[in-house]
Amino acid sequence: MSVPLSQMWTVASYVLRQKLRGRTRYPLVLMLEPLFRCNLACAGCGKIQYPAHVLKRHLTVEQCLQAVEECGTPMVSIPGGEPLMYPDIGRLVQELVKRKKYLYLCTNAILLKQRLEEGVFAPSKYLSFSVHMDGLRAEHDDAVCREGVYDQAVEGIREAVRRGFRVTTNSTLFDGASPTRMRMFFDEMMGLGVEGMMLSPGYSYAKAPDQEHFLRRQKTHELFSTMLSQPKKRWKFNQSPIFLQFLMGQRDFECTPWGMPAYNIFGWQRPCYLLQEGYASSFRDLMENTRWENYGRRSGNDKCQDCMVHCGYETSAVDFTFSSWRGLRETVAATLGKL
Amino acid sequence: MSERGAREGWTPAITDGEILTDVIEQAFDYRGDITIATRDGTRRVGYLFNRRRDVAVPFIQILPVAGGDPETITYAEIQSIAFTGRDTAAGNSYAAWLKRKESARAAAETPSGDPSSAGA
Repeated sequence: MSVPLSQMWTVASYVLRQKLRGRTRYPLVLMLEPLFRCNLACAGCGKIQYPAHVLKRHLTVEQCLQAVEECGTPMVSIPGGEPLMYPDIGRLVQELVKRKKYLYLCTNAILLKQRLEEGVFAPSKYLSFSVHMDGLRAEHDDAVCREGVYDQAVEGIREAVRRGFRVTTNSTLFDGASPTRMRMFFDEMMGLGVEGMMLSPGYSYAKAPDQEHFLRRQKTHELFSTMLSQPKKRWKFNQSPIFLQFLMGQRDFECTPWGMPAYNIFGWQRPCYLLQEGYASSFRDLMENTRWENYGRRSGNDKCQDCMVHCGYETSAVDFTFSSWRGLRETVAATLGKL
Repeated sequence: MSERGAREGWTPAITDGEILTDVIEQAFDYRGDITIATRDGTRRVGYLFNRRRDVAVPFIQILPVAGGDPETITYAEIQSIAFTGRDTAAGNSYAAWLKRKESARAAAETPSGDPSSAGA
């Protein structure tokens, strides 16, 4: 794994504290969406299908910080929309770094070079730009429904790396993804000097317009197994190796949707980052009054049967690591053995 | 009303509580603004982002198109719901994008004066 030791220690000690307190449901990463506005219109993304007046709104920095305080996670992911379009992104990041939160600013990187040149951000061990890259040029530009974006993103990545920022990539893989071309993609991204890469299978948003191209569970196992077999030493994955084994079909977990709670202009999203089944007015309301038993594969909920995304299952993998000596031992083995 | 885009412009007749609940679910699922008429004669236009029926007084919440804080309206106050705003999800599928891209490519490759290029 390529994650800094300080971050690993922070996460480990946080999870162990939850275990010692007997907390079975705990958040690990806050998915903080300050806005839904975006400079892309990817067909696979259900996050931007809103009327103009909704897209014009955004959270205040104070609302964001209040949510971070309520939730108490050591890590905050800032997706959207496109966070670099958030007018106060510089101040928000500054405040979160001050609070020693490990941030993953998820961006399509179209505006990254510009924002860096404007001096909006300062390098910090707490801040990572997590650049959305769904594959090599042809695949990525198809995935985001616009040509030229791959090259802009690469330019942004190069600039960020040059300036000393932590940079990771995040890739969502849909039906038809080529394991061979993804392996070439891994080579390219590591060649750009990124710290690590993150992978997730795409999920069929109920509200996303396209319902045909999302991976089903079995196909997910096949794709990830082929793609990650005999991984090259230079490939670094900025996520739990146990989660990657889950994607490969080597392990099975139940979903932990409370692990990555989402907060946006509507409030605290029930039950998870992907399913939008309503909103809670507070984090406590979300945790205490959501019918968790209605979600996950065991529940029989149709919407959950094929889902394997990181926001539901990576926390499951992390929880496995810290639930027993066996979990810890197997995680270390997976890390050293590179899956 | 299961096809995307089919609800745009729809004003269902709400004659009982069960139909109201169903229409609210449809409105919650809808990716456009709605117009709500309440029993006091008020009309409100906005995006319905939340509904709770598992509480003592079931309610919906909308983001008003005119801006400002979210508004809460109880189920009991609602007289009608009209799907007046554009369905922002309609016609924006990945498949539709690919088809437009292929049409543009075919049009670019077709020699001028070829009747098959018309309307591509």
